[in-house]
Amino acid sequence: MNPRGTPVALAARGVTASLDGAPVLLGIDLELAAGCWTSIVGPNGAGKSTLLKVLANLLPHEGQVTLAGQPIAEMPARMRARKLSWLGQYETSGVDLTVYDVTMLGRLPHQSWLATASALDVAAVERALRATQAWDWRARALGQLSGGERQRVLLARALAVEAEVLLMDEPLANLDPPHQADWLALVRGLAARGKTVVSVLHEISMALQGDTIVIMAQGRVQYHGAAAAAATQRALEQVFDQRITILALGAYWVAVPNQGQATSA
Amino acid sequence: MIGRLRWRSILRGMLLTWLLVAGMEARALQVVDDRGVTVVFAQSPQRILTVLPSLTEMVCALGQCQRLVGTDRYSNYPESVRRLPKVGGGLDPNVEAIIALKPDAVLLATSSPLAARLQSLGIRVVALEPKTHADVQRVFDVLGQLLGVTDARRVWQEIDAGVEAAARSLPQRARNLSVYFEVNDAPYAAGEASFIGETLARLGVRNIVPAVLGPFPRINPEYVVRANPDLIMVGDSGYADLARRPGWNNLAALKAGRVCVFSPEQSDVMVRPGPRMADAARLMAHCLANKAP
Amino acid sequence: MKRPPVQPDPPARRVGTVAAALLLASVVFLCLAIAVGSTGFESILMLRQDPVAWQIVVDIRAPRSLGAWLAGALLGLAGAVAQGLFRNPLADPYLLGSASGASLGVAVALVASGATPFAGEWLVQLGLTGAAFVGAVAAVLLTLLLARGVGHSLRLLLAGVVVGVVLGALGQLIMMLRPDVMLSMQAFSLGSTGFVGWSACALMAGAWIAGALVAWALASVLDGLSLGEATAISLGLPLPQLRAALIVVLALATGTAVAQTGLIAFVGLAAPHLVRSIVKTRHQNFILLSSLMGALLLLVADGLARSLVAPQELPVGVLTAVLGGGYLLWLLQRPGTRGGLL
Repeated sequence: MNPRGTPVALAARGVTASLDGAPVLLGIDLELAAGCWTSIVGPNGAGKSTLLKVLANLLPHEGQVTLAGQPIAEMPARMRARKLSWLGQYETSGVDLTVYDVTMLGRLPHQSWLATASALDVAAVERALRATQAWDWRARALGQLSGGERQRVLLARALAVEAEVLLMDEPLANLDPPHQADWLALVRGLAARGKTVVSVLHEISMALQGDTIVIMAQGRVQYHGAAAAAATQRALEQVFDQRITILALGAYWVAVPNQGQATSA
Repeated sequence: MIGRLRWRSILRGMLLTWLLVAGMEARALQVVDDRGVTVVFAQSPQRILTVLPSLTEMVCALGQCQRLVGTDRYSNYPESVRRLPKVGGGLDPNVEAIIALKPDAVLLATSSPLAARLQSLGIRVVALEPKTHADVQRVFDVLGQLLGVTDARRVWQEIDAGVEAAARSLPQRARNLSVYFEVNDAPYAAGEASFIGETLARLGVRNIVPAVLGPFPRINPEYVVRANPDLIMVGDSGYADLARRPGWNNLAALKAGRVCVFSPEQSDVMVRPGPRMADAARLMAHCLANKAP
Repeated sequence: MKRPPVQPDPPARRVGTVAAALLLASVVFLCLAIAVGSTGFESILMLRQDPVAWQIVVDIRAPRSLGAWLAGALLGLAGAVAQGLFRNPLADPYLLGSASGASLGVAVALVASGATPFAGEWLVQLGLTGAAFVGAVAAVLLTLLLARGVGHSLRLLLAGVVVGVVLGALGQLIMMLRPDVMLSMQAFSLGSTGFVGWSACALMAGAWIAGALVAWALASVLDGLSLGEATAISLGLPLPQLRAALIVVLALATGTAVAQTGLIAFVGLAAPHLVRSIVKTRHQNFILLSSLMGALLLLVADGLARSLVAPQELPVGVLTAVLGGGYLLWLLQRPGTRGGLL
């Protein structure tokens, strides 16, 4: 389903995937529009991270994933890496690299073997670090940073790729409210410039600030619609067993947990 | 005609020269060592370095102790050898120390890693490793050739006669005993195929460890209990624990005290296949005669 | 040409300083090492007059000392590659079983050829080095197979220990069945530079140049890997091929060093940590620094091994453990810096 009628940046057709023999994705058909910020939400274990990895061609799967119309599995790895940037959940062991070096790794898809950083690379890294307010401490080692600071650096790394499509898994982990707000502004800016952003989020209120929402449960897409649409919001409340209520608060939609509600059957 | 005469004299000259050179080469010293390598010396080496105790003893047995300039740290017989410079052990020899002693020839075991390194430094290496009685005779021959000792064969014959004498001295009751010879407490035993086993065989006793198990097999202590030897031969350090091994305190040999315990010096004599094999045979015979039932 | 803005300067300067310091120290200790040995300093003084002294210094001490430096360089290189490849600061050529694999390879080659491990002829040396290399590769692959990939640190280290122990036991079995190689293998496992000549040095130098070049070229892969395997793939890095290349480097470096000097533990583990305690940097610099540090460590240890109880020698493995381990212990008991490994 393509709510906006704009070109499709990323699409999945009949995608199934398993992890360790257990089926996780049970048939996904999805079209994500370009220039749109889509959030994937759902209960734990729905397969959201797995879907994101499959869309980035990081997991073996059946079915087809296309990137700007081209089958992603047939694309040369470096071309795919230039067009699609993926930010996973934190698994870094590189505590010795400086913030600058880590961000520069995001330019790897653009650099040929043995090439040093070009002026373009240096400029891209600076833009990315400034966008995440990490520029001032670019010489510090990753291991010396707090959780939130580290997350911003990893985000900068993903931004430095300057790809058309940006996939992010739990990008707000460890971020305090000011930086969550910065992230929001950043993503909105990217979408406005025509980039496609897909984020897996636990923070429903944040997801509601986006353009579209994909609701996943039990390995399938349950609903895909505009974040502001009432039908989407009712579907959201339902997938979480009515434990949340979505309210309008001024110009914003907010998801509020329902306390004192008996656990549903 | 003069041309043809000239040719003949030239040819004759060449023939004579060739014969002379061949003769000179024949007079130069050549020995074939245990690796099958032919080592050529211009003359008999005067400065000798040994890296194996049995070879040290053999050089001295041939009366050439004075030619030794250095030995390995384990060479301790005869007494005079203890004062010589030491160049490390068989496993960790000190190449620099060896070179510093300027040896004309280095005698070492065939299994030593030292040979190739020394050869690449220009040292002549003769690898000899006696493992059986026949080997000892052969090595004596090679050493005799190398050291220019003409009566090497006689030295061997004396040693051999000594072993025979020890065998003859055994009383009848000591013959045909079954014997277990333990080399160390792993336990490694000396089988029929070993040097020690050969001496035992010449003394006329039976070895409970047959040749098929190899020269120094590591055996299961249970095997000894089953074989129930008439007499046990063991080194000093191993004796203390024998009775404590499971099932061993019932061994007839242990209960009757039919155990030959050898001191470290005596053990040295036993395990080195060299000129003291007659002494080793006498030690064994002496003990057998004493302890035989 | 406009100077590109910003590459932060202090770390780059520090890397250069550290590298220069290590090289300078290496030269100094190399000279010192050539001056020590069982015949002491006399040999240097008598260099001109006595041809034997000349031989001692030029044909024995010099290649030995240089060999110690080169072997340490190879082990330091292998250690840095192993720790980057497996994303584990405890990874080390020995802990991954590659050293046991190398010795098993040498044992098999000895049995097959009947030669001794420290022969001077090129062909035999290459054959034994080749066997050590094959053994090292086989051991690392076996470890990876058992651990089912590098994802799980504990499983990887356990698999490495298992492989090391099993292959070591196989080597011992071979020694028991063929006692004629036992002595050669025992000398080999003592670990010493005693038999290193100029041809061994040339071989190690060749292996080091080849290995260092490949590792340096692939350093960005190791950096990318430190962000996580999935991220590295998402950046377009062809992981399987690049990993294979790095494993070949690891095995070549370990196998060559082990074939020439026997088993000298701890250098591959300690050198990268020692470098990290001084300067933190990208793998491109880190691998080279780790190599230089390992080289210096083994050079100093070998020199001390030869001089402390001259004319006798201590086993060099004891001294690498004392030097490297002592420094690491000191680091451990300091109040640690936030976020660092030590």
